[in-house]
Amino acid sequence: MKLFTKYNRVNITATIFTFVLGSIAFYFVLDYVLTRQLKETLRSEQFEIIHYVEEHHTLPEIQNTRHQWITVERSSEVLPRPKFKNSNFYNEKEKENESIKQLLFSINVAGQNYLITVNKSEAETEDLLKLIILVTVGMIALILLFNYLINRNLINRLWQPFYKTIDEIKEYHVSNRQPLQLSKEPIDELDLLNESLNKMTQSIYKDYAALKSFTENASHEMQTPLAVIRSRIDLLLQQSELKEQSLQQILSIEDAAQRLSKLHQSLLLLTKIENKQFLLNESVNIKKIILEKIREREDLIESKQLKIETNCTDLTLFFHQHLAEILFNNLLNNSIKYTPVNGLIHIELTESFVSFSNDAMNGPLEEGRVFQRFYKPSDSGEGTGLGLAIIKEICHLAGFDIVYTFTGHQHIFKIRFNN
Amino acid sequence: MKLLIIEDEISLNQSMVEFLSASGYLCESVLNFKDAVEKIEVYDYDCIVLDIMLPGGSGLQILQYLKENHKTDGVIIISAKDSLEDKINGIELGADDYLTKPFHLSELSVRVAAIIRRKKFNGQALITAGEIEVDTMGKSISIHHQNVELTQKEFQLLLFLIINKNKVISKNAIAEHLWGDDMDIASNFDFIYAHIKNLRKKIITAGGEDRIRSIYGVGYKMQLP
Repeated sequence: MKLFTKYNRVNITATIFTFVLGSIAFYFVLDYVLTRQLKETLRSEQFEIIHYVEEHHTLPEIQNTRHQWITVERSSEVLPRPKFKNSNFYNEKEKENESIKQLLFSINVAGQNYLITVNKSEAETEDLLKLIILVTVGMIALILLFNYLINRNLINRLWQPFYKTIDEIKEYHVSNRQPLQLSKEPIDELDLLNESLNKMTQSIYKDYAALKSFTENASHEMQTPLAVIRSRIDLLLQQSELKEQSLQQILSIEDAAQRLSKLHQSLLLLTKIENKQFLLNESVNIKKIILEKIREREDLIESKQLKIETNCTDLTLFFHQHLAEILFNNLLNNSIKYTPVNGLIHIELTESFVSFSNDAMNGPLEEGRVFQRFYKPSDSGEGTGLGLAIIKEICHLAGFDIVYTFTGHQHIFKIRFNN
Repeated sequence: MKLLIIEDEISLNQSMVEFLSASGYLCESVLNFKDAVEKIEVYDYDCIVLDIMLPGGSGLQILQYLKENHKTDGVIIISAKDSLEDKINGIELGADDYLTKPFHLSELSVRVAAIIRRKKFNGQALITAGEIEVDTMGKSISIHHQNVELTQKEFQLLLFLIINKNKVISKNAIAEHLWGDDMDIASNFDFIYAHIKNLRKKIITAGGEDRIRSIYGVGYKMQLP
């Protein structure tokens, strides 16, 4: 729900509720005031009559109007005090029932007791009340309408810079090599938002740059000693007086150094992928890469007498060339490594997925752990244990799904592109 | 052939000097940016082996300097940073090649030789090793002036051994040179042996002398006078 819709909903409900309550209260107050006024009129009529009787000792001549009239009747009954009464009266002229208010009081004129009733129609009061209520309701409706229109236009306009900011954040990626630069806004809150975002991305960018240079420097610091080891070994091998046993030892040192170097490169790559230091903005021909990688490994495949079947459609994806190469390198390396001599590797590439299946040497891999770092099945030999983890991370970065299954004594790795 | 080795890690610097000197190059070496600039200002080199991260400055600045002063020294960058950007930056600034640490000295040697061939002889250099004549441009060899058909891998292998003549080359180094280091081949060197075997057969059939020595369990060596 939009903030504006939510705000409007609450605002309009509250406004209507307030206005209804207010109107009810207003109605009762008005009713009370008007009734009191009516009574006041009746009472002043009473006083006038009493006054007249005291002065002239006779009843005044009575002038009735349409809304106010007086009836006089002889009565033996004496009201101790004046009494108000509500009653109905049928107005023949207007052909409707009108409610009237009556004031009854007794008066003695020359020994004769009279009961005088002053009647006043409430029609006028009711009309007035109706009118006032009508005007009030009309006003409420108008206020609500204007409120809504103003809110809609004004708030939409006020929020415009906010949406602009959101758009810029959406476009922003920390590897774009600069912090966000949002403009100054005349509205304090939005300006505060922009300023805070600018500051935040600045610090994020600084951290990112620090992390990036750390991983790169760490790589430098690690690879340099490894380069020393390797170069020294190359020199050692040139010494003709070395015994075979010494040579073997030197070579196992070299192997270890090489593995260390590969391991470190793999970890560095994983870190870089996790830091999203690769932008997937190149169009990459997947089929070309797969066929190329197979061609590079012809000797390897031949020496194991593997059979490779490929069924590839032309497919170009928005991807990263280097990452795509690593991805298919690792998939192919695994397939070749874990297929028994004379085994079969089947590679299928369609518009929506790519799958690598190969004959298995042993049973299935543990499905839950196969993509974990340093997961090594017992027959894995001396791999880094990071190949599949890297595959998984690359797929994750690109939004692909990768699934491992084991069917028909074959390992199957299937990647869905979700395009 | 004169080389300048610019590398701040003393041990690695010495290794490169020792190996390349034994390959017949005249090597000078410096350990920092300042000394490197002083050397290049005064002398011309056939090839400069350049580390990027140096005390006192960046190897990229040295490339910049060479470019601005229209120096034609060949340059191979050796860097621990396996980052594409650096590679691209380096090549854009005029470096001829890029080698990621750690590397085999034999690989460095063959790359340096290639740069010098390109710079000095426009790639037209003919290399002779005994009775074998290698045309590096046409990627072909001849023995006793008779053309010998080699596969691409056999040619690469032979050239690698000839450039590193009289040096023991480990199977690892050969595998990395021929197949790159992103292939998982550490446990399987059978096919290197297959290529060596074919190469020997072709050389002998053409009347050449088999100068490739097997060093048991280690690798191979091209024995040349």
